[in-house]
Amino acid sequence: MSGFEIGLLSLGVMVVLVYAGFWVPFALMLTSFAGVWLIKGSPILAGKLLALAASETISSYFFGVVPLFVLMGYIVSVTGMGRDAFDVANQIFRRMRGGLGIGTVGANAIFAAITGISIASAAVFTRIAVPEMVRHGYTKRFSVGVVAGSSVLGMLIPPSLLLILYGLLTEQSVGDLFIAGILPGLLLALVFGLGVVTMATIWPRFVGEKISGPQLVEDHLSLSELAAKGLPIAGLILLVLGGIYGGWFTPIEAGAVGCLGAIVIGLGKQRLKWSDFWQVLNDTGLVTASICFLIIAAQMYSRMLALSGVPAGFGSFVATADIGFWGVIFAYVLLVILMGTILDSSSIMLILVPLMLPVISSMQVDLIWFGIVTVLAVEIGLLTPPFGISVFVIKSSLDDPSITLGDIFAGAAPFALMMLIVLIAVLAFPALATALL
Amino acid sequence: MRAARQIIDRITAGLNVIGTLLIVAIMVLINADVIGRGFFNLPISGVPEMVSMSIVAIVFLQVAQAFRMGRLTRTEALLNILEKRSAKARALVELIFSVGALVLMWQLLTASWPLFVKSWVRNTFEGTIGDFTAPIWPVKLIILIGCTALMVQLLMLAISSISVLTGRTLPPGDEK
Repeated sequence: MSGFEIGLLSLGVMVVLVYAGFWVPFALMLTSFAGVWLIKGSPILAGKLLALAASETISSYFFGVVPLFVLMGYIVSVTGMGRDAFDVANQIFRRMRGGLGIGTVGANAIFAAITGISIASAAVFTRIAVPEMVRHGYTKRFSVGVVAGSSVLGMLIPPSLLLILYGLLTEQSVGDLFIAGILPGLLLALVFGLGVVTMATIWPRFVGEKISGPQLVEDHLSLSELAAKGLPIAGLILLVLGGIYGGWFTPIEAGAVGCLGAIVIGLGKQRLKWSDFWQVLNDTGLVTASICFLIIAAQMYSRMLALSGVPAGFGSFVATADIGFWGVIFAYVLLVILMGTILDSSSIMLILVPLMLPVISSMQVDLIWFGIVTVLAVEIGLLTPPFGISVFVIKSSLDDPSITLGDIFAGAAPFALMMLIVLIAVLAFPALATALL
Repeated sequence: MRAARQIIDRITAGLNVIGTLLIVAIMVLINADVIGRGFFNLPISGVPEMVSMSIVAIVFLQVAQAFRMGRLTRTEALLNILEKRSAKARALVELIFSVGALVLMWQLLTASWPLFVKSWVRNTFEGTIGDFTAPIWPVKLIILIGCTALMVQLLMLAISSISVLTGRTLPPGDEK
């Protein structure tokens, strides 16, 4: 068997193992170990590859801040800033049809500007927005769907852990990637908002037959309440984004500064309890360990692939297959979305981006634009069965056993479709990503 | 057996706490650097090196606990369907998986051992002489400890799968 065949075979074996329920990092490790053994004929060499990847891959300043971005997301959620964002957004949108739905989208967009991970948004707004929407007559399916859908904004609107990861893989400026994410993020929020209004008007069976009209949303915030809720969030956004673009710290350090800012605000508002803080710290550690362990395994896998010659072979296949620029891009997007049904976001990027990079750079593609396309396509995978992280997080944060995983996937489906529309828009108009640069 | 399990779980949780404290340390360190540099023109040397070494330590200190809490990424859709048909069939699959993962971790452990020995014997360091240096061996040692802790957790999963298979315990409902 040639290296190329071994590489392709390993892809197939890995997919089967993942579907069968083997832990994803071990599936990646196993296929890379076996792959190198077969290619090089030496199990010792294969073991060495595993060990080097384990000690080198994440040993960088960039990966050092992964826990800090996760921690920041959790701290802003336990200090009640998610609730505040929800209240402020509802105050703004309460007169519109489907106002609470739009409020959830708006609150997620605000929240996204202070966190870099989607799972934080999904967990927070499941607890805040879902009970509120159900109380006002929205269907459970729609309520969880809108939370699942809008949680993806967390990874698109800066700061974003996925964009940092992409920047690392492709050696692009993380600051530029963050700026490039702003317009597509806002566009996605806008499309979600319009989608909610449209569905509330023409498809009440899905959204809710008797959703409360504007007059029934009783809580009315005074200007000072609005300021008390809105200003700390605005301050934190200003601190994180202002600090990055004012040159005070790098996007990587922003995770640490944002964490400290969130802790200070939480202590100032007397909302950060020691027990919560410890709990959140522990959760952060577990999330970090599982993400980074996965990254290590994915790195082993991509080293094996590089040895097998699959990326190079794939590149020359694409070049000679003559499917052209759009053929390559569409095939790539399709592959990302397909992989999104079984893998989580960072694994997909870690597996596919190194594979595509040589092909894409030879075509003179703008790598910043390509990054936004990648993140959008990857994020659709958060909402698609059988493996959708956002949906899983929502299910585990819900108190209501009557809402099944199937309900959440069904509720999120229209939002996945809207993401696809925005993805097509970014493909058709690259300026959406590059205009602000 | 139960006592052994308790001790192991306590050690695993202890490693996890050390990792958690390291996360706080990183946060304090980076903020001190940013504030020191921005306001007092006093950057802290070696922050990138310390952070990049700590993250490796954090991951390997906490991976066993992450595994124990069921946080390692996997798709259980098909396994759950299988379990509804037959709990023993699922236990068999879990046994095969955990033994497979054990073998892999053993490979990783034995291949990482020489890396530790090399860093210990040659006393290799991170950073630049005269500015900031830190020895590498503690991190390499933590990798070994973390791999071992994860193997112990895998072993315990294998043992509990065997006891489900032999019918000595009911399928675990309270544990993952």
